[in-house]
Amino acid sequence: MARIELRNIQKFFGAVQVLKDVNLTIEDGEFVVMLGQSGCGKTTTLRAIAGLETVSSGTISIDGKEVQDLRAADRDIAFVFQSFSLYPHMTVRENIAFPLRAVRMSQSELDAAVNEVAGVLGIERFLNRKPSALSGGDMQRVAIGRALVRRPKALLMDEPIGALDAKLREQMRAEIKRLHISRGSTSVYVTHDQIEAMSLADRIVVMHAGLLQQVGAPEEVYNRPANLFVAQFVGSPVMNVSDIAVEGGAGAAVLSFGKGTRLPVAGGHVGHLPGQRPVKLGIRPEAVLLRHAPEPGFVETETTNIEPLGSHEIVDVRLGDATLRARVEPGFVGDGQKVWVGIDPERAHFFDGESGMALRRTA
Amino acid sequence: MAEVKTKGEVIFNRAAIVAVLIALVIMLTPIFWIGATAFKPRNLATTAPPTVFFEPTLSPFAKLFTKRSQLREPVDEATYAAAPWWEQLIYDGGESVVRNKKTGEATSSGYGNRYMNSLIVSIISTFLAVSMGTITAYGFSRFRVPGEQDWLFFILSTRMLPPIVVAIPMFLMYRAVGLYDTHVGLIILYTAFNLSFAVWIMKGFIDEIPREYEEAALVDGYTRLQAFRKIVLPEALTGIAATAVFCFITAWNEYAFALMMTSRNAQTAPPYIPSQVGSGLSDWTVIASGAFLFLLPVAIFTFLLRNHLLRGMSFGAIRK
Repeated sequence: MARIELRNIQKFFGAVQVLKDVNLTIEDGEFVVMLGQSGCGKTTTLRAIAGLETVSSGTISIDGKEVQDLRAADRDIAFVFQSFSLYPHMTVRENIAFPLRAVRMSQSELDAAVNEVAGVLGIERFLNRKPSALSGGDMQRVAIGRALVRRPKALLMDEPIGALDAKLREQMRAEIKRLHISRGSTSVYVTHDQIEAMSLADRIVVMHAGLLQQVGAPEEVYNRPANLFVAQFVGSPVMNVSDIAVEGGAGAAVLSFGKGTRLPVAGGHVGHLPGQRPVKLGIRPEAVLLRHAPEPGFVETETTNIEPLGSHEIVDVRLGDATLRARVEPGFVGDGQKVWVGIDPERAHFFDGESGMALRRTA
Repeated sequence: MAEVKTKGEVIFNRAAIVAVLIALVIMLTPIFWIGATAFKPRNLATTAPPTVFFEPTLSPFAKLFTKRSQLREPVDEATYAAAPWWEQLIYDGGESVVRNKKTGEATSSGYGNRYMNSLIVSIISTFLAVSMGTITAYGFSRFRVPGEQDWLFFILSTRMLPPIVVAIPMFLMYRAVGLYDTHVGLIILYTAFNLSFAVWIMKGFIDEIPREYEEAALVDGYTRLQAFRKIVLPEALTGIAATAVFCFITAWNEYAFALMMTSRNAQTAPPYIPSQVGSGLSDWTVIASGAFLFLLPVAIFTFLLRNHLLRGMSFGAIRK
């Protein structure tokens, strides 16, 4: 197992810079998920660690040893592809044994290693089949088996369950987590699915346009997004973001949503907002509060749309120029009905209107 | 699950079967004709209407492989009885074997040597074209080659004019560098013909093999060359087989250059067979037997590789 350090990584594809000064340390035994949209550089970063992509500048070290100039074969790292890439002309057993055959190993040791990993993954009964005879989930189990059998220093996974259907994804997610806990392998996992990232990661690395946007534990990324991009990328349904004007200060303020809709708020980050500058309010649907009757700090409005989702409902309400989506109990309110809306100041996020950076109390 | 067919589908199927049968008859009739004539006695070869039922004889093959002359008078019985079976067949046709004056052995016609030349030249040039073509195609498929499209067009352009156009300059060059009438000369020529074809066909097949296969092998501790050998080659086998069959057929059937660039030493079978027409006596049974033997290697080669040719692209283990 290993500690992976990326220092000042830059990568150009022709004139296009896809990685802009990436610095990241992945601790021994840690499960790090790189999260971002396609084209953000997360897969390139992963492939650079594996040695499948060269870096234009910067250093990559594994356990303190610089590896950016080593061939992939000499880095002792395993890679799981989204496409599984099992060799179709080999049986499952041969596929799993393939990395072991690169290093001379006795047949009995080899068999023992293959059987052990097959047992852990529950694929013993497929060992003599060809990959084309397996289901998607089993193919990916084999691919993970092939990655783990060599006991590599680190396990890199590039959207390993992205090609599976939703139910299987959930199941495989749990399996990957269990495997990580039991093996304690340093893992780097790339995905664009924030639910996968939240559920698997020790730390999430949010990337956008070749830059690291935020690195932190899932709850930190969710509760204290560093900027507007992270705030909107993590969390489902998406965080409400609206342009507001702030009046007042010192612990309490009035947020103006336009069209004369003004919401007095006290607490949270509110007292520390700069006046005069454009500000964006970010608030997750669960922090938008609805009431059936007037209360201080709530303003009257109407519901404009309701999405029933079984366990809860998402209700759209208009507030000045903005539409806020609130998460409520099923049947809380009907469509087009009058409600009173307020926000939870402790869970309200404010972002600089220009840079998108989070504005918060410096505690 | 039982297949449900509409009436229209049934009619279509039957029509298709009939069409296939007609095509088969059209294509197989000449081959049957050659095969039948190769086993006919000489007097039945040119009858009209054609003789379909006859007692097969090996005398055309005996004649094919030996040098013969007309008998002025029938051979005496003691000599006939002492002769081996194939020589008796020649005597039966009113001919005798030309013997070496010193050793007294029968002189061969040269067909055997020509046939061997054909095998040597075709097999080696096919091997070279397919192996070089595969490696080149791999390079074009997997690496960034500066001016890749131009190079590929240039390679293809070598096939854009009929080869016979360059025959005279080639002949002069070959004579100047001493490649005229050599096996090496023909092998180089046929390899050059087939190489552009092999590169293009193999590039298509290798492009179909996902890069992730090799990348997985690279990460798993193999070198690029090992990954090529253990992963790409087995996956490309279907393509290699198909390309090899076509290259072999081209080299095996080539006539014009073989006629022009060779004479005694390295001449292949195709220019030999028609040389038996005319020259006093046209023995069509001998020509048919030569052609019949000439058909066999391609038929056998194709038959051996038929599974690879039919299997097509079966990449089931990757999700795209």
